Amino acid sequence: MMLGRVAVPLAAAVTLALPAVLDDSALAVYVLLGLAAMVTVGVSLLMGYAGQVSLGQGAFYGVGAYTAALLALNGLPPLLGLLAAPVAAAAFALVVGLPLLRLRGHHLAFATLAMQLILLSLAGQLDFTGGDIGLQAIPPFSAWSFEAGGVTAYAYLTWAGLALVMLVTRNVIASRPGRALRALATSETAAASSGIPVGRYKLAVLALSAAFAGLAGGIYCFYTGYVAPGSFPVLISIQYIVMAVVGGLGTIWGAVVGAAAITLLVQGLDRLANLPGMPSYAPGVLSYAVYALVLIAVVLFLPNGLVPAIRRLLSRERPAKTR
Amino acid sequence: MLAVQGVSRSFGGVYAVRDVTLDVADGEVCGVIGPNGAGKSTLFNLITGHLAAERGEISFLGRRVDRLAPHRRARLGMSIVFQAARVFRGMTVRENVMVGLHGRTSAGFVAAALRLPRHRRDEREIAARADAALDRVGLSEWADRPADQLPIGQQRALQLARALCARPRLLLLDEPASGLRGQERERLAELVEELRAGGLTILLVEHDVAFVTRLADRIVVLDLGRVIADGPPAEVRNDPLVLAAYLGQSA
Repeated sequence: MMLGRVAVPLAAAVTLALPAVLDDSALAVYVLLGLAAMVTVGVSLLMGYAGQVSLGQGAFYGVGAYTAALLALNGLPPLLGLLAAPVAAAAFALVVGLPLLRLRGHHLAFATLAMQLILLSLAGQLDFTGGDIGLQAIPPFSAWSFEAGGVTAYAYLTWAGLALVMLVTRNVIASRPGRALRALATSETAAASSGIPVGRYKLAVLALSAAFAGLAGGIYCFYTGYVAPGSFPVLISIQYIVMAVVGGLGTIWGAVVGAAAITLLVQGLDRLANLPGMPSYAPGVLSYAVYALVLIAVVLFLPNGLVPAIRRLLSRERPAKTR
Repeated sequence: MLAVQGVSRSFGGVYAVRDVTLDVADGEVCGVIGPNGAGKSTLFNLITGHLAAERGEISFLGRRVDRLAPHRRARLGMSIVFQAARVFRGMTVRENVMVGLHGRTSAGFVAAALRLPRHRRDEREIAARADAALDRVGLSEWADRPADQLPIGQQRALQLARALCARPRLLLLDEPASGLRGQERERLAELVEELRAGGLTILLVEHDVAFVTRLADRIVVLDLGRVIADGPPAEVRNDPLVLAAYLGQSA
């Protein structure tokens, strides 16, 4: 709690100040980081708190992006498209979750992965999604008299969305439905015997995490101006899980810290690999080998993730003020 | 209160519970005993709904429940203390007990996400009732500790608090004394006696005959999935069939 009282205003101040000082290419990273964090908060809620696995969060991200893009391209106001994105992603999650959530553990993981593969191949085949080329010339985001002109506007939109997602998650976790989710993660039997409709709650948490991913997807489509199946590879779903695990599953801040750490690491390695004088195989080696080594190191040395490790460090320094 | 009528359940062609009939009257403490493999756990799971009966009927408060999901039976007023430590990890002792009130409250995701007044009111009441239940089982000073760090005896007491705060009509205890040592066992027996004095109906499934004999008004003995005796403790203890079942096992 003490930590929160300092960290939250500080994080808010930094978030607000950054778009003013960053250049455009850094701001682009900042937007993508915020979008990834938004999806990862949902992954952390789903995996860390409710104990369900999804290797298909990228699919919900894609559903949100395509929904907003299609609505905007058909002449509806972009604001409506943005609001419809999380709703459509959640509705899609409810439909696929009904059969999928009968599975548990790695069966559920593979089934959600398959769901994303099916969706990607459908998006690549169907006419109304634009096939492999995707949807282009999506208008910029606008609401009332405001129009998102540059990347700065998207940075604020993204981080406002992230703040909303974090607030909702925090409120849910500390409440009656949140306790029910945490309970069923330990024992579905004991949860059911406490009067919790386990199936319905698993479906609800999948839909909520999908809504977060859908919102991120909606912002993404207005930001980039085009969406295609290639924007939502399976790798992206795996990356969200990596971010959640590295930051610390079952902590909200862990999702943000994990998303930041992985995004910056990938960007840093990319820049390093493209420096003049680097051998031609440098990008491949750096992006896969170094990335993998960092992951292994985190899992080995900080198995609970970054945020719990930082918390422990801080509370050790001030033993009198721990919760 | 609870009526089990000719219930059967088999696994791979072998009956674990066969044609079992059993009634629990209002305000009664009914013990179910039997040697290992007698079908006690299966019968328990059939009553709570974690297993489906192949034949027979189960009624609770005059209502058929054998097709109802476990959480619906819980909401009708069945509360359970499991044998295995089923405390919820990653939650405090108080939060664990608060889960027990899930079926008695209604604030959902939207009310929680928006922190609606209804949700705040619910939360206050849930916390107060959970604290009262913790007080009753003597766990008040542990309320803010992580539940999975409690010793086994206190984990069982925690489950009892979770079951009690829902104000059950029927309390189901599955081998509550197993794994407990002398003093912990004595504490638990005293708690059950207090609950009985308060008029709570209890079904006690237990391996430990002495523990059941002390607490139960009536004892049902299972052997090989069938009821072989049903009556007051003193009568059942001297029943030749019961003696044979236990001696045959050399227990």
